[in-house]
Amino acid sequence: MLSNIFTVSFFVSLLASTIRLATPILLPALGQTFTQRAGILNLSVEATMTIGAVAGFAATFFSGSLWLGILSGMVFGMLYGLFMAILSVTLRANQVIAGITLNILGAGLAVFFYRVIFGIQSLPPQVEPFKMLKIPFLSDIPFIGVIFFQHNIIVYLAFIMVIVTWFILEKTTFGLKIKAVGENPKAADSKGISVNKYRYIAILIGGIYAGAAGAFMSIGYLNIFTESIIGGRGFIAVSVVIFARFLPIRAMWGALLFGVASALQLRLQALGIDVANQLMLMLPYALTIIALVLASKKAEFPSAYTIPYSRKER
Amino acid sequence: MKNKLIKNLNQLLLAIGIIILSLLVGAIIISFSGNSPLEAYSTMFNGAFGSKQRFMEVLVRMIPLVIMALGTSVAFKAKLWNIGGDGQFIVGSILAVSVSLYSGLPPVIGVPLSIIAAMIGGALWSGLAGLLRVKFNAPEVITTLMLNYIAVYLLSFLVYGPMMDPLGSKMPQTANISTAYRLPLFESGNRLHMGIFIALFIVVIMVFFWKTTVGYKIDLLGQGEKVTTYSGVSVKKMIVFTMAISGLLAGIAGWTEVFGVQYRLLEGITSGYGSIAVVIALMGGLNPIGILISGFFFSALLVGGSTMQRMTEIPYSIVEIVQGLIIIFIIARTAINFKEIKNRITRRLSNVK
Repeated sequence: MLSNIFTVSFFVSLLASTIRLATPILLPALGQTFTQRAGILNLSVEATMTIGAVAGFAATFFSGSLWLGILSGMVFGMLYGLFMAILSVTLRANQVIAGITLNILGAGLAVFFYRVIFGIQSLPPQVEPFKMLKIPFLSDIPFIGVIFFQHNIIVYLAFIMVIVTWFILEKTTFGLKIKAVGENPKAADSKGISVNKYRYIAILIGGIYAGAAGAFMSIGYLNIFTESIIGGRGFIAVSVVIFARFLPIRAMWGALLFGVASALQLRLQALGIDVANQLMLMLPYALTIIALVLASKKAEFPSAYTIPYSRKER
Repeated sequence: MKNKLIKNLNQLLLAIGIIILSLLVGAIIISFSGNSPLEAYSTMFNGAFGSKQRFMEVLVRMIPLVIMALGTSVAFKAKLWNIGGDGQFIVGSILAVSVSLYSGLPPVIGVPLSIIAAMIGGALWSGLAGLLRVKFNAPEVITTLMLNYIAVYLLSFLVYGPMMDPLGSKMPQTANISTAYRLPLFESGNRLHMGIFIALFIVVIMVFFWKTTVGYKIDLLGQGEKVTTYSGVSVKKMIVFTMAISGLLAGIAGWTEVFGVQYRLLEGITSGYGSIAVVIALMGGLNPIGILISGFFFSALLVGGSTMQRMTEIPYSIVEIVQGLIIIFIIARTAINFKEIKNRITRRLSNVK
């Protein structure tokens, strides 16, 4: 029985879906690496992604352009990030409370505007999603080709962004400043780096990544929008950053781990295997807890993590 | 005493001001969507207070929400971010229903046992997050959230599988609990049950709870772990204990909902009460009486909101938007230093002169 399930083609399709399913966790996790490095824990990524999903879907639906959809997701993701920036940086609110609040507000806004724009329809409106882009030659390699080189362009871009994010954070002065305001804001301030400015930028960058990932869900992975389209991926991305110890390359491995968990559930379900489906669906969430348990003790949080900065409190 | 009264009155006025402001912003969003805010709010108001029946429904909704928000407030006072109320509610309900369906005990023993089971279920689920926090430094804000998803799928697994009503028509729900186990109704024809007294009773208990040594220690925990260490309390034990109490109350909330309203387990039984409980707790200033008042307000908003969705074109999500706005304004209110702004303005004005 087992040998019938675990065939080569099963593993190939499992790994291919792993890469696809890692994408909507990888993108927000990379964005949150900036945000968390700057000392901000932004739990509202979840709602930001939902907003990105609606914004991307609507833009593509009316313009017919998928790239406009991604752009729209990014713009609205950034705009929603602005709320978090105002609350946590300017008003110096408790970041957890601000994040929870913005999740409630954001979920409401996303669904409200989706309903207002599209009304109630018996069949959900659909778009033509991003097509698979086979990389010439490479996609013809047996097994490897299917696993790595037969995805849509956003998947490739997400993995390219791992390198880009790593480069910006580790090799540029801009990255250095982001890390400085999260590690030692007082010292950064005394060197003339505006703490508030760089924290704003770090939150907005996180919003852009999250918005793009949301749009990927509605026009790249699926071709519709649903209320529960993000399904906790934003929260998982936040935890990926923590147990990846705030490093982009490790965040990629974390995202792939979740990709495997979700892919396994989908693949087994597709084969009609009677492992209680709900128990499989728990896997990514249970995995998050296990990963946090294993990594949190060792994780070196930025020194000013979740602490608002004020010049007065020297 | 008189000062305290004035302070509370001020707080109430402030809350009303914030609610009005949030409803105004909500009105702008509604009109932006091409609907009439006046129509929205009047159907909402009628939906909550238009008849005795509807008013009773508000009270029905208020029972689990107030109890759960009290649970949330316990953790939040200690600056422990338990946002897993839904999961604790579900696990409590599962254990309580199991006792009533499968124990075969007479209600005299079975009912108290089912309450205890609900408390244990809730406390275990949140206590686990507390334990992971103190043993492994895993942030409870994430673990409680993840435990929510796990509880939702666990419930779904049970009602589709082992606990499904054997005589039912393959619906994802358990069999009904026997009549003797149920919370009695006030009168036939509406759903208000005796759980309202339980909710009020817990509010009173919580008022006194904060005056006890244990309550004081939890409060201390929120003011920084060092302080608590100095007063000789084991911080780690205190964190797990506080989390457990918080979940215990969510478990009781689940018990009232199952034994007073639903009479069985079914999918989606919490319908997002957890995040509303957070809003209620924050709006109520983490104070039991405040939570009772804000719980009443938000229950009215929920019941009115679903009436509005049925009768107009306006989506229910506006209720969530207003909830979010209210907390944002509360955050802004506590963060903005009005005195400083006033000083700055007067300084500027005098400069102009």
